[in-house]
Amino acid sequence: MKKSEWSDKELIEILKEMPKVKDYRDPRDIYQNLSPKKRRTFLWLLPGIASVAALFLLFLIASNIIDNNQHSLEKLKEDTTSSRELARENQGTGNGINNAGILKDQSETPKTKVTKETSFQTAVYGDNNLQDGKVLIFWIPDGVQDQNLIPVATIVNTEKNKNWLSLFNENMARLKEKEWGLSDYYPLNASLRLDKSERKVIVDVPDDHTYGQGSKQETLFINMLKRNISSNSEVKQIKFTTNGKSGIELGNYGVVEEIDIKDEKKHAYFFYYPEGSNIPFLVPSPSVYKDINTAFDAMTGDIEEYRLERSLVPSFAINHVSIVDKKLLLTLNDNTKLKDDQMTVWSLEAVLLTAKEFGFEQVLVTNPPISNIGSFDLTREINVPLAPNLREIQ
Amino acid sequence: MDSVFNELYQHYHQDVFQFLFYMVRNREQAEDLVQEVYIRVFKSYNRFEGKSSEKTWLFSIARNVAIDYFRKQKGWKGRILEKFDWSMSEIKDNVPIPEEIAIQKEEILWVFKCLDYCTVDQRAVIILRFLHDLSITETAEALEWTESKVKTTQHRALKVLKKQMATFYEKEGLTSEKVRVER
Repeated sequence: MKKSEWSDKELIEILKEMPKVKDYRDPRDIYQNLSPKKRRTFLWLLPGIASVAALFLLFLIASNIIDNNQHSLEKLKEDTTSSRELARENQGTGNGINNAGILKDQSETPKTKVTKETSFQTAVYGDNNLQDGKVLIFWIPDGVQDQNLIPVATIVNTEKNKNWLSLFNENMARLKEKEWGLSDYYPLNASLRLDKSERKVIVDVPDDHTYGQGSKQETLFINMLKRNISSNSEVKQIKFTTNGKSGIELGNYGVVEEIDIKDEKKHAYFFYYPEGSNIPFLVPSPSVYKDINTAFDAMTGDIEEYRLERSLVPSFAINHVSIVDKKLLLTLNDNTKLKDDQMTVWSLEAVLLTAKEFGFEQVLVTNPPISNIGSFDLTREINVPLAPNLREIQ
Repeated sequence: MDSVFNELYQHYHQDVFQFLFYMVRNREQAEDLVQEVYIRVFKSYNRFEGKSSEKTWLFSIARNVAIDYFRKQKGWKGRILEKFDWSMSEIKDNVPIPEEIAIQKEEILWVFKCLDYCTVDQRAVIILRFLHDLSITETAEALEWTESKVKTTQHRALKVLKKQMATFYEKEGLTSEKVRVER
């Protein structure tokens, strides 16, 4: 039948001769094989559901994570802004250089807490039991800028045949300036002695002394001597020698041989907080005031350049003062709510010390809203202190 | 066993299998596709309207299964390439000849090979018309075509087969002559 030309009929015959092809598999096998195939739709349904669930969970988790991130971002922003605000606040209260102010502010709460339990006085009073002791005042630079000389009172044992200056010389090595947050200035690199007439203090410095290095050092040195001598004695003159030879070489002053001490009073007392301390020193102002009214006025504000802070708490609102001999009569505002706490005790002490500066011996509050502030009895006259800032050295 | 399956198997299994065998020209593939036909049948058995005979209905399903199979085999890449590369249709890979055909006489082998050159539709018509002895009407029902479309497709299919048979003849003649010369 091989030929090059095929008719339709021939071709169809060949096609009809094509072998019958049969499936030799057992029908049961075929049927068995159907079932898993039938189920196949359900088989992929399960992983399908699982993956949909997984996607759903992923979405939930992802949205959560994104949310959290945003939250933490916002939080971070808040944190930074709040810390910035805090810094600004601190700057505000610190007033530029007053770092101690910040520390004080932060510890304000514990401070007032302490005071309620035991409010204490800082100054030395006549009724203090001095026994045989003598009050010595040392003027110590503040240790930060050395702008302020801070009077620190100590009670030392007196011995016979010892004048005030030898006590001063003996005890200046015992001062704990560092502990008090002040400049480690003592003992002085100089010997102090009284001349025969006891009207002059002779200050002898060694050849290599450093008190003449710079105007600040010189002024500090001279002011320190003046204050120490005037507050501890009636001596009115200082004579300088260098290694026994007359005169002291101070850069800006030239060679200084003698200085007169003028009794400078009429200062107002302010609070000075050493770094890291919340107990203030009561410090006289750098300038003097013409009368006690202006002094009290000044005490309701800070002296920023000297890092001195207001010593009159707002509740200690003095309406007016009057004077009877050496007694100062204070009249407070009628509606003022004076508190019996530590800050008010210190305020009252500042008032007493300032009154002393203006020559008063007693202070009386004419309209006390409360009977007591600390151990002060407001219903009676209060004696002015002997000296401010009592510290123990023995 | 399912009674429906049993009935279908008894009456039509071998016909459907043979149809698929000649469509894909591979026994294993045909076996797989028969399974697929049953699955589709079970899915849509309720929808069987009885408009056509069960047999033509099964053939129509088998044809769709075969078409889907060819589509899957080509994949989307092949389908795109086909549009641009007409030379592709000329090159037919040499499908291994199933055992059943290999043992037959040469003409049968040739026809089997020539089926490769027909389109799927042409092949379906040839198989249904001449291997399964379906009438034009039955074929039209199975393919869901009009009878005239069956006729034209059949005519074209035979034309393709005749042409290819002639080329086979020429090739075979040449080789036999060659063999003779060598002897």
